[in-house]
Parts: sequence; C-alpha cells; structure tokens
Amino acid sequence: MNVHTYEKVWLGAAMVLIVFFIASVTYGAIGAGVAMVDDSEETIDPDTLGEDDRFGDPRVEQVGDDEYEVYAVARTFVFQPDPIEVPEDSTVTFYITSGDVIHSFSVVGTNANVMVIPGEVATMTVEVDEPGEYGIVCNEYCGPGHHDMEGLLVVQPEDEFELEDDE
Amino acid sequence: MSSIEREIGHDEYDPVGTLALIGLYFLLLVVLWTFTYFVEFLGGDLTVVGTLL
Repeated sequence: MNVHTYEKVWLGAAMVLIVFFIASVTYGAIGAGVAMVDDSEETIDPDTLGEDDRFGDPRVEQVGDDEYEVYAVARTFVFQPDPIEVPEDSTVTFYITSGDVIHSFSVVGTNANVMVIPGEVATMTVEVDEPGEYGIVCNEYCGPGHHDMEGLLVVQPEDEFELEDDE
Repeated sequence: MSSIEREIGHDEYDPVGTLALIGLYFLLLVVLWTFTYFVEFLGGDLTVVGTLL
C-alpha cells in the first residue's frame, strides 16, 4: 500500500493527540487528585430532618485544622444555611440532603456540583483556596420557584473567619 | 475534454496549503484542549477531592 507522506504525518499526529487526551485525563484523576462525588452515606428520613443531629440545625462545623464540615439542607426554594461561610485554604466536606423534592447543589463556575435527593445524603469534599464568593444554584427543576432557588458560599480570609457559634 | 497536461507520481503530489491548514487546526485543537482541561477544569477553585470517610 502506498501511503502519502502527509497522510503518515497526519495519522501519527492523530495517534499522539489521542494519547495526549487520555494522558491528561489520567493525570487529572491521579496526579491532580480530582475525585468523583461519593455515594456511601446512609439514608435518612426526609420528614424528620428537624430532629436529625446533623441536619436539624444546618451549619458549618470545624472538625480539624483547616477542616470543616457543612451540613446543608435544600428545600423548595432555599438552601440552608445561607450564606455558607468557610475560611480560605481549607478542606470542606459538604453533607447535603433535601427536605422535600430532588434538588441539586451546584457551586457556580466550579466542579462542585451534586444532586440532592430526599432521603439521601450527598457528600463531597472540596479544597478551597482563595477568598471569594460563589453562587449556589439548584439545577434540578424542583417547582415553580426553581429559578429563584439560590444560595451563597462565601470563602473568607482566614483572619476574618469565625464560626457562628463563637460569635 | 482537455488532455492531460502533466502527469505526477504519488509522492510528487504536494498539497502544502492543505497541510498548513490542517496543521493549524491541529495546533488549535491542542491549545484549546490544554486551556479547557488544565486551566478551566483543573485550575478552577473548589477542587473536588472526594470524601474524608
């Protein structure tokens, strides 16, 4: 078979490109440590969230040096707590559940995006670097007020941050 | 019907313009992938790192 030189070049380059694509995704999963959202949490009764240890009082809790846990509840058409305040340079684990219908918890412009299902606890751990504000939106249609359902995630500078309990 | 003006061999066919154009597309593809994946996807804040469980 007689293959033109340019065709050989193109075939070779296309192979290299595919290897580069796969390699960069592999790097993202292994080297950069980007993970998928977990589903190992136990189920919960959405009708009695008010009596639950974690979700009765939606809050941010410190669990270690630079480690925080957020217990958040999504309801039609709010996120609690609002705003969610965490300090910069920390590791934050979100535990999110719904008190009524299916919602989602999407931190706009980031990869932090999880479906929130009544009876299930969506869990994701994120690393927060720079101070700033992020909008949180619901991207599962949840009712007539869906488009108004938003929350706020505030990443505060370390010296300005204090937990609500300490105030 | 015009008669054959010039006959060239397989490797004498030399579409440099096409090669340049495809090379340009290829380069664009690499640059855009690099930007989308490494800058926008991995570079964005709030990196999801899984669970602490």
